[in-house]
Amino acid sequence: MTTHSTPPPDTTAITAITVENVRKRYGDRDAVDGVSLAVRRGEFFGLLGPNGAGKTTLVEIMEGLRQADSGTVRVLGQSPWPRNTALLPRMGVQTQSSAFFVRQTAREHLATVAGLYRHDRAAADRTLASVGLTEQRDVYVENLSGGQRQRLAIASALVHDPELIFLDEPTAALDPQARRDLWEVLRALKSEGRTIVYTTHHLDEAEALCDRVAILVGGRIAALDSPHQLVTAAGAPSRLLLPAGRIPVEDADAIPGVDRATVQGGSLVLETAAPGKVLRAVDALTGLDGVMTRTATLEDVYLELTGAAGEPAAHPHSTES
Amino acid sequence: MSAYTALTTAGYRAQVRDKATLFFTFAFPLLFLVVFGLIFSGKDVEQSGRPYISYIAPGVMSWGVANAAVFGIAFTLMQWRRDDLLRLVRLTPTPLTTVLASRYVLALGVGVAQAAVFVGVAMLPGFGLAVDGRWPLLLPGLVLGITAFLAIGVIVGTYANTPEAVAAIANCLMVPMAFLSGSFLPMDMMPGWLRSVSLVLPLRYLNDAASGALTGRGPLTDIWTGWAALLGFAVLFGAIGLKTFRWSNRT
Repeated sequence: MTTHSTPPPDTTAITAITVENVRKRYGDRDAVDGVSLAVRRGEFFGLLGPNGAGKTTLVEIMEGLRQADSGTVRVLGQSPWPRNTALLPRMGVQTQSSAFFVRQTAREHLATVAGLYRHDRAAADRTLASVGLTEQRDVYVENLSGGQRQRLAIASALVHDPELIFLDEPTAALDPQARRDLWEVLRALKSEGRTIVYTTHHLDEAEALCDRVAILVGGRIAALDSPHQLVTAAGAPSRLLLPAGRIPVEDADAIPGVDRATVQGGSLVLETAAPGKVLRAVDALTGLDGVMTRTATLEDVYLELTGAAGEPAAHPHSTES
Repeated sequence: MSAYTALTTAGYRAQVRDKATLFFTFAFPLLFLVVFGLIFSGKDVEQSGRPYISYIAPGVMSWGVANAAVFGIAFTLMQWRRDDLLRLVRLTPTPLTTVLASRYVLALGVGVAQAAVFVGVAMLPGFGLAVDGRWPLLLPGLVLGITAFLAIGVIVGTYANTPEAVAAIANCLMVPMAFLSGSFLPMDMMPGWLRSVSLVLPLRYLNDAASGALTGRGPLTDIWTGWAALLGFAVLFGAIGLKTFRWSNRT
């Protein structure tokens, strides 16, 4: 492959969504305050931020459900506003897990949604299988469990085979096993080359799934990069956990490289920017049996960014109202 | 599968699976018909010398059909918006006109089935409704009446955000209108000023058109007037309904 024979880059071939300087104001409050970002084709893009940070408004502007006050939005090379029926079949949007046709079975509901996209019943059956609802297909939507409703709502976004998928806290109501199962569904969608834009409050999940994340605070992008880069750039300290009492706190504080030593929940916690050096010192002092290391996570970065803006960051797992 | 077929099939299933609504759509108006029919069995209205049943049968039928049209679409619209189903539809390429066409056909189906049941029961011995030869003229009136009341239901469903609000608004509208339009009590028994008031009510015209067609009472112009008025109400309320329509409860 040569690099010289490639044609001039066609941005619509590599970019799924372009948002430039988008603003949306409700009354005297800027819900979205000058956001610019680009989502690449095939990318798994996470949108994080505390409640009220403007995530939902921003996503709804991308979906074409709301009009931005100013700025430009291009989705798959087209404008999503006003309602663009040429664009709509190419994107799938997970709605709330109450958005079901009443008194229908899971299969009937999904076949109806498929019909709205002019797809057949077989598409509904395939999609039910892909989210693991084949066994529940003849259960009325009203009688599905919370997790099953969630999966049916996701299936409603996938039934027409869209290129671009918007998911809104898709794992919120799922138990740990169902959550991991859904991760596999999402990874499979990504491996098929689909673009996924998703909001979540589960930062471990964003770290595990997303190519890049944008952290939105007060209607602005506070950070946008791969989870790994964000964690590295933040320079948050690593933590070494030792059983309490193994080393006196004062001695631990004196180990070269240890920034802070505290006792928390039965563990002696050493914060350090040089974990390798400190580990060697601890090894020499007491050996490494029972020593745990905890590196900085996306959650640390998130809490620092959202906390600094004066937002209440104490409930990162609460769901959006 | 076309979007229209999918929506109509799902709507039909939702309709026949909802026993409470089936009761209120079919059995509840019949209850009125049976009670009034038996109370006034064989009696005539003094002012006109015509049997009570020739007033009550078209009257109860008109009210039952109008009521079902208003409640059906108002509940559906409120529920679809509240549950975000409207948003789901909005995100598919299906045009709003397809959704409206599907709901319209379902409402027409319900209304025609109701009319057949109510007229059929009224013709049974004991009630003794004699159907006039010009009964086919009932159909255009029914279609226009259902259209007008469907448009009213759209407005109710747009402003009401809970089932309780739909029931409250629709009942406040439909129960007084039923009495004032002569659905339960013959207009001929009412004082002149009340008859004048009834001229602004769409149900009055559905009653007139229906009883004119079913019982042969009055000149044909009563039927034409009824149709024209219902068409006018349908256009007026339809325009308001489209103007005020909301996809979502959120701003």
